[in-house]
Amino acid sequence: MPRPFVAALAAALCMLPAIARADAPPMGVQRAGNVTIVRQTDPAALLVGVEYVVPAGLDRQTLTQSGLSALTAESILRTPVAGVPLADAIAAKGGSVHWNVEANDVRFYVESLPEDAPAVTALFLSAVAKPDFSAATVDAARASVDRKFAARQQAALQVGLDMLAREASPSANSGSPELGSPASLAQLSANDAAAFYARNYRRDGSVVSAAGRVDALPAGWGESFANALPPGSGKAIFVHLPALEGSSRQFVTHRDIGAPWLIAQYPAPPIDSKDFGAMLVLSAFIQRTLLDVSGMPSVVSATIGSRAIGSIYSFDGQPPRLTLFVNGEIGNPTQAFETALQLVNVLSQTRLHGSIDQFKAAAAGDFAGDADRLESRASLGGLFAGEGASPDFLNRTLAAIAATTPDDVRRVAKKYLNDPAIALVLPRDNS
Amino acid sequence: MIARALAAAATLAVAAVLACAPAVAAQESGALPQGGSYVSAPDPTLGTASVGLWYRAPSDGYGSVSQPGLMRIAATAASSSKLVSGRSLSETVRDLGGRLYIEVFPDIVGVHAVVPAASARRVAAAMTAAYFAPSIDADALKNAQRDAAVLSVEQRYSPDETLHDLLFAQIFSGRPASVSPVPAGVPAITAIQLDAVTAFAKRAFRSSNALLVLTGNVDSSVLSGVTDGTGPGAMDQPVNSTLAGSPAPLTTATGAVTGLGLAWTGPPISDERSATALDFISDYLFRDDTGIVSRALESDDATFVDGQFVTLHDAGVMFVTISGKNTDAARKIVDAELTKMQTPLDAERFNAAREAFLYHLAGQTETPLEQGENLGWYSAEGNAAYAPFSSSGAYVQAARSLDPEFVASVARRYLSRPIVVQLGTVKPPKGSTS
Repeated sequence: MPRPFVAALAAALCMLPAIARADAPPMGVQRAGNVTIVRQTDPAALLVGVEYVVPAGLDRQTLTQSGLSALTAESILRTPVAGVPLADAIAAKGGSVHWNVEANDVRFYVESLPEDAPAVTALFLSAVAKPDFSAATVDAARASVDRKFAARQQAALQVGLDMLAREASPSANSGSPELGSPASLAQLSANDAAAFYARNYRRDGSVVSAAGRVDALPAGWGESFANALPPGSGKAIFVHLPALEGSSRQFVTHRDIGAPWLIAQYPAPPIDSKDFGAMLVLSAFIQRTLLDVSGMPSVVSATIGSRAIGSIYSFDGQPPRLTLFVNGEIGNPTQAFETALQLVNVLSQTRLHGSIDQFKAAAAGDFAGDADRLESRASLGGLFAGEGASPDFLNRTLAAIAATTPDDVRRVAKKYLNDPAIALVLPRDNS
Repeated sequence: MIARALAAAATLAVAAVLACAPAVAAQESGALPQGGSYVSAPDPTLGTASVGLWYRAPSDGYGSVSQPGLMRIAATAASSSKLVSGRSLSETVRDLGGRLYIEVFPDIVGVHAVVPAASARRVAAAMTAAYFAPSIDADALKNAQRDAAVLSVEQRYSPDETLHDLLFAQIFSGRPASVSPVPAGVPAITAIQLDAVTAFAKRAFRSSNALLVLTGNVDSSVLSGVTDGTGPGAMDQPVNSTLAGSPAPLTTATGAVTGLGLAWTGPPISDERSATALDFISDYLFRDDTGIVSRALESDDATFVDGQFVTLHDAGVMFVTISGKNTDAARKIVDAELTKMQTPLDAERFNAAREAFLYHLAGQTETPLEQGENLGWYSAEGNAAYAPFSSSGAYVQAARSLDPEFVASVARRYLSRPIVVQLGTVKPPKGSTS
C-alpha cells in the first residue's frame, strides 16, 4: 500500500474526531433500568465530578415536614464512615460532597482529584446506600442545616426568591423553603428522616451525570450509582392551598440589610420548549438594557453596579422562572425597578427593531460562561439528557439562541412577561 | 504482502485515531510575531475562551514622583480607547457576549476577556491592538477615571482590601508595594493627567513586556489574530519593593469600616517549597468552610476571617484579615492555631490536609479565567514553571514533598511575629504608632 494513501487515510480518520471534538466533547447517555447515566469526558480537567439526582425533593414532604428533605440529605453527609462523617472522610481523601434540595429532587455532587475518585465514590455510595439516622447524626445534621438557614437569611436576593417560590409553585410543599426553618427542623426527629429516606430514596427516576476526568472513575461507576438505592420509586405529595385573595401580588419582608432589594418574577419556559432560546435572548436583553439605563456602564464587567441589577432565567427550576432584581445600593432603586417593569411591558407590545445579534451574543456568552465549572457541566448534562435527549447542552443551547428572531423575542415576551409577582426585601428600622 | 500491508495501514490508521482521540492538549509557549510571548493551555470541551495579557510594571508609575493608581487608570483607558474598528476593546468584548476583567497589583497587571470560544481570535486581535499600540484620548481617560472612582468607593467599604493596602504599606517601605494600586478618592483620580497615562501605557504595555495567556477553548488560529507589536525585546525584570527595616508591630488607622489585619513577610517565589508550605497553611487554617479557623467560627455568622499567602517575586506576604463583630475572639483563635502550626501535625492529619490542599488547588484553576490568571500571575512574578496550573507539575511536586516537620519549620521561621494593623475608630493603645 503506497504510503501517501496511508497518510491520507490516517488524516481522514483524524478529521472525524477532530470535528466531533470541536463541536461536542466526548459524551454519552445510557440507561440502566429507570436510571439515566450521563458522561462528559474532559481529558484536560484536573478533577472529576458526579452529580447524583434522586427524586426526593420538596414535593416528597408535607408542609409540616418543611426541611425534611434537607435534613435527610445532610444526615447522609454526616453518616460516620471509617469513624468520621462522610463529608470529612471525603475531604481527607482529596474531594468534596454537598447537596442541594430542589422542588422535585435532591442533588448530591461529589468531586475529587482523578487519582482519588475510586475511594471517594466508594465512600459516598456506602453512605448513601446505608445512611446513619441515629439521634446523634441527625442532631448534627439539624445543627448544620440551621447554620445554612442562617447564612441564607443574610442574602436578601435569596430571601426574596424564597418568598416568590411558594407563590409560583403548583403544589404548596414544592415551593416551601428548601431548608425549612429552625422551628420546623426542631420538630423533625431521627425517625422522620429515616422514614423519608425509606420512602423516597429509590433508584427509579434518578440521574447520574459525570463530568471531567470520567476515565478516572472506577469501572462500572454508572451501574454502581444506578444500583446504590433499592428499586422502585417514591411518590410526590400534592398540597393544595387556596390562592391568596386580593389584587396585589407583592410580598414584603424585612432583614438586617443596608438597602432595599426589589425583585419581580415571571413564568418562563423549560429547556425543551421552543421558547427556550428566545427567553435566553430576552433575559440578556433585559440585563444589558437595565445596566445601561441605570447609568451603570463600565469598562470592566464585574463591578458593584453589574452585581446590583439584573435578570436570572432559572430554566432548571420547577417551575422555570425569569427574575428581575434591583439592589438599592445603586442610586435610585425605585426608578431602576420601574424602568425594568416598563421595559418588560414594552417588549411584549413592540417588535425589536434592528439587529438582535448583540443580545444573542450576550445570551450565548452568559450561558457558556456559566457552564465552565464541572459541577455546572454535570448538572446541565443531566438536565438536558432528560428523556433520552442529547446531553450536549452547549450546542443545543447555542443553536436555540442562533435561531432566535426579533419576532420570537416579542412573542415570548408577550406570552410570559405578564403580571409579575413582586418581592420587596427591606432594611429593618434599626439597620 | 497485501494482507500485511493492509494490516500495517490499519495499524497506522488506528494509531492516528488514537492520537487524535480526546487527549490533554499540551500547554504551549513561545514568542509573538511582533514582540512579547505567549502561553496557551487549550481545553476544546469548553464553550468559552479566556484571552489575557500580563505585564510587569510599577502601579504608581516609573517616575520619581509616585502617582497612585496610574497603572489602573492606564490599563482601563487602553481598553476604553477606540480601535480601528470604531469600537473599543471593552465594547468589542461586550458586543461579542464576553466579560472584561482588569486586575492591578503593585507590581503587575493582568487584563482578561472571557468570551464565547468562536470569538477568541477577534478578541485577541482587539486586545493586542488596544495594548500594544495604545491610543488613549480624553474620553478614554474619563471612562477610566469614572471606573476608578467606583472601584475606590468599593475598596473603601471592603475591610479585606483596605487592610491589605495598609499592611503592605507597613511591610514595604519602598514603592510600588507601599502604595495602593487603586487611587484613593476623586482628587487622586483627577490628578492623573492624559500625558502621564499615555507615556506610562506606551512603556508598560509594549509588546515586548507582554505575556499573552490563552486558556479554555482556544487553538492556534487565535494567535494569528495578533498582528500588532512594538518589536522584539526583553520583558522587564520583576518589580521588587524595598522591605521596611523595622516596621511598627502595631499600627492603627481609621477608615469607613473596621477590622484587624495581620501580616508576615514570607519567602520569595524562587523558594518554591517554603512558598508552597505557606499556601498549605493558609488552606489548612483559613479556607472557607473547611479551614480550622473557619470551622471554629462557623457558628458566628457576624465575624469574618480570611487568610492567604500572596506569592510575590521577592518577598511574599502572608495575610490574615479579621472583620465583623467579634474580632478580639477571632484573633485569639487565629493566634492559637498559628502557634499550633509551629509543632508538626500528626502524620494522619497532615496527609489528609495535604490531599485536601491538592484538591482545593485543582478547584481553583477550573475555569478559563482562573487558569489564565494563574499562569499570568506566576509568569509575571518571575516563575512561570511554578504556576499551579502549569503543565510542568512543579507546584504539585512541591506540595507532595511537604511533610509535617518542614511545614512546622516554615511556620516557626515566617509566622512568629506579625505586623498588625487595627482599622477603625478605636482609640490607639498606648505605645502604638498611628
